[in-house]
Amino acid sequence: MTDTQLTRASTSAELTIATPEGVLFRLPLAGPASRLYAMLLDTAIVLGAVNGLGLLVYWIFSKAPGFGFMVIALAEFAIGFAYSALLEGFWNGQTIGKRLLHLRVIDQDGLPLRIEQAWVRNLMRVFDALPFAYLVGGLSVLSSPLMQRFGDRVAGTLVIRQTPLAAPVEDFWMRQKYNSFKDYPAIAMKLRRAATPELATLIQDALRRRNELAAYARREIYRELATYLQSEISPFPDELVEKLSDEQYLTNASGILFGDQRPSSR
Amino acid sequence: MILDLERFQALARPRWRELDSLLAALESRPDRRLNPAEAEQLQELYAQTAADLNRVTHGALAHELRQYLERLVARAYSELYYAPRMRSEIWQPRRWLRIFTAFPETFRRHARYFALAVLITVLGCAFGGLAVRYDPASVDVLLPADYLRNPGQRVHEEEQGQGQGRHQNSAQTEAAFSAQLIRHNIQIALLAAALGVTFGIGTALLLFENGVLLGAVAAHYTQQGFGLFMTAWLLPHGVFEIPSILIAGQAGFYLARLLLRRREDRNLRQSMREWLVLVAGLAMMLVWAGFMEAFFSQHHAPVLPYGFKVAVAAAELVLLTIYLLMTGRREIGTEAPSSVPSENR
Repeated sequence: MTDTQLTRASTSAELTIATPEGVLFRLPLAGPASRLYAMLLDTAIVLGAVNGLGLLVYWIFSKAPGFGFMVIALAEFAIGFAYSALLEGFWNGQTIGKRLLHLRVIDQDGLPLRIEQAWVRNLMRVFDALPFAYLVGGLSVLSSPLMQRFGDRVAGTLVIRQTPLAAPVEDFWMRQKYNSFKDYPAIAMKLRRAATPELATLIQDALRRRNELAAYARREIYRELATYLQSEISPFPDELVEKLSDEQYLTNASGILFGDQRPSSR
Repeated sequence: MILDLERFQALARPRWRELDSLLAALESRPDRRLNPAEAEQLQELYAQTAADLNRVTHGALAHELRQYLERLVARAYSELYYAPRMRSEIWQPRRWLRIFTAFPETFRRHARYFALAVLITVLGCAFGGLAVRYDPASVDVLLPADYLRNPGQRVHEEEQGQGQGRHQNSAQTEAAFSAQLIRHNIQIALLAAALGVTFGIGTALLLFENGVLLGAVAAHYTQQGFGLFMTAWLLPHGVFEIPSILIAGQAGFYLARLLLRRREDRNLRQSMREWLVLVAGLAMMLVWAGFMEAFFSQHHAPVLPYGFKVAVAAAELVLLTIYLLMTGRREIGTEAPSSVPSENR
């Protein structure tokens, strides 16, 4: 399927893939910091494994330390290159460190990484690691729209962020029987139009985390949000708002933003 | 936003769950192959979920839902459009042994990059050699390590060291030494191959510098009358080490060319694999060179006559040449230019 024509567009933080069926989806790219942490973790794992192996080898070769050294030095060298390449190749683009930090290497067309790509991008580390501390690779990541180091550019790969996502849950405000805001369809419409996705998500998060927040913090946050909505976005009539708690105000607003459109008198 | 999110989610959630569990089952399967019924089911769920995603994308409020659906679609997309290699294919020893024929084949197919690497190295050698020949003072600049500046003393030390039998554990020291040599050489060679990303400029500089060093050392030792010693000292491993650095240069130039015409290259994957084959082959050569350098090259005159060492080097060179030029040729002269029989996908 290499001949499918894909169009790619990107922002600083994501890659957008247009499938042949005309569906767009975005893949969030991993930043240099999380990749660095993953690499440090992997380095620690490799060092631990090599040292463990070293003890064993020295014990086996205790009569011939020179040969022991040779075995260790060569094994360390081989493991250093093969660890990432083999794991990424066989484990769908993840090493242990990448898995722990929810990173994944993929082909830049949004498909899984192939084995030769894994080898190329990892052998290119000798260049990316120059002159010290991955300076070349780091600069490459920062200057590349797809956050690719040189190894990624050559192999045609990129690293995405893949934090686990839970299936969306049903929220209680979707189920409320009566929403007084729906009696004012004009103002409700204004709220729907004016609320940005960020604001809507903020309100949703504030309500979802109701029980995680300390009582005073919850009061403060809800009051601020409700005041902001009332004064800046959607001024519902004062006689209605006075009767509502801040929490009820936000619940109603969420109902307007995410819930059923039809008037509440059903 | 025209969508009624609540009702929409309630209706569509079952198929999202179904897609999710189908994908989870596939991803946990080692070879990730679909049977026809599953493929059909996946295709259908993918199409539906993609349509759901399209509906949510335009209503910007359902941020989380959009992320969730994008993830599902991305996973299904990669399962549908990617045919992984069968595990059984990967673990066939025959596939792995093919590197021994693929390496010389690839080497010959891209011989012009090798010629370029040779040319640059020879230029470097000539520069280094002539500089030392006509301006002996330039040795101080060209040869940084001071042991190289006084061949007489070095030769004496080497031969003396040999005369005293070094230490009892000389094999031990040599083993450790060989490991260091192999690591160092492979690292340098890999760097030369990787420097192709600098459009080959880095590769060329590295090869030239290497050539200058080689030419200067050769001229310096020959001038002082240690030509035979040097030949016997360097060639037993040099006949593998020098060609492998040249092949690293070849891989570097090949990579540069690959990146420059990346847009026209219909078969980038195969090209990348050829780069890998070159790197793997030169690494094998360097392992041999490292062992020779540590276990054989360091033994001098009374133990190993210089003539014998040079003869061994010559034999190695002949074998290497035969290997690189003849292996994999079915019938000389009738080889198709791009025959890669292992490409079974």
